[in-house]
Amino acid sequence: MKETLLEKIDRISLVMTNYSSDLIIGLVMLISGVLAVKYLVRGIRLALERSGLSPQKSEMTCNILMIVLYIFLFVATAGVLGFNSRNLFRFLVIATLLIVVMVMLFKPYLPSLPFKPGQTIKTGSLLGKVEATTFLNTRMRTFDGKTVWIPNSKILNDYLINYHITPSRRIHLDLRIRYDQDLMKAKRVLEEVMILDPRVLTKPRPVVYLTHLREDCIILGGRCWVNNLKYWTTRCDLLEKIKLRFDQEKIAFALPQRYVYMHSEGPYFPEPDAQYLERPDDADETE
Amino acid sequence: MKVAEALKAIDRGWVKKPGGFRVHFQLKTDQGLETDHLPGTDQNPFDSDVVAWRTAWKLYQVSLSDDKQYGQGKMVNIYVVDDQGKPVKYYANGKYQVYNPCKDQT
Repeated sequence: MKETLLEKIDRISLVMTNYSSDLIIGLVMLISGVLAVKYLVRGIRLALERSGLSPQKSEMTCNILMIVLYIFLFVATAGVLGFNSRNLFRFLVIATLLIVVMVMLFKPYLPSLPFKPGQTIKTGSLLGKVEATTFLNTRMRTFDGKTVWIPNSKILNDYLINYHITPSRRIHLDLRIRYDQDLMKAKRVLEEVMILDPRVLTKPRPVVYLTHLREDCIILGGRCWVNNLKYWTTRCDLLEKIKLRFDQEKIAFALPQRYVYMHSEGPYFPEPDAQYLERPDDADETE
Repeated sequence: MKVAEALKAIDRGWVKKPGGFRVHFQLKTDQGLETDHLPGTDQNPFDSDVVAWRTAWKLYQVSLSDDKQYGQGKMVNIYVVDDQGKPVKYYANGKYQVYNPCKDQT
């Protein structure tokens, strides 16, 4: 046992004596090369983004450049270590091309994320802007400033809303007004407020519906379309303007309410209405 | 009359949608009152009258301050205009409103 261990140590020391300089040179070359590639790609990415290229395109260009540079680096390092660099270069190029072709062929059949960086999405209870995606997770920044990493498997298994697929979005404005208010005036005012806002699209036109007749109020439903990016501010502004305009026009909003009748003298049994007691149809039948 | 024609006529004759809003104001200088807009006429106007009126009110607060360039009552006749330069009614009270009015042109 002792002899075997000594033999092993001897063999390692022999290898180190013969090849240590090459190994050290190769290692230094690999580390410095990786660092150089990293900083070079970072600089190119910044330059591309400053030139006005979209983040997605600059990211793709940098990724391709990084793969090519890494291939050259590995081949050069292998050459220093004494490997046949030409064969290794051929192998890496063929392998890369094969992967690219396979990805291009099978891309429609691969499960892919239905969004791109920079788009606003809602998945589960999270709403925010996608910052980056990797094979494993998606980095998202919520509108209250939190950065969330979501596993892609969770995104693919949950429902997802992408607010960039369609350019516009409908605003729902449901207003409760009292029964004794002027319904037609309220409809006109609501429609006017929506039309007067420059952000509200002219097609489809804003419309006002009477959506519900509740026990304590009438519900008017204002519907208008706006650009996706202006949805939230437009909705808030419209609500503010509607409230103030209804006050000016003296249209009263309804508050949740219930009428309670108090009877101080004993239990109350309401007498049926006289009109329901008279049944002229029955009388005709008896005759 | 076709429906499309009727809709166009309604758009022209009923409620006209403004193209945007600007805050109009005038600065008192040695030469008199100098008119300016926010955003400038060479820039895109605000797409919200709520924002425009809020900005107008904030400019009015600046005009009341000790600011040497715009304060001490130097900024007058602050109100909101549409993209055509016509004054817009304040949505909060439905009336034309001018912050820090000044009729004196000298």
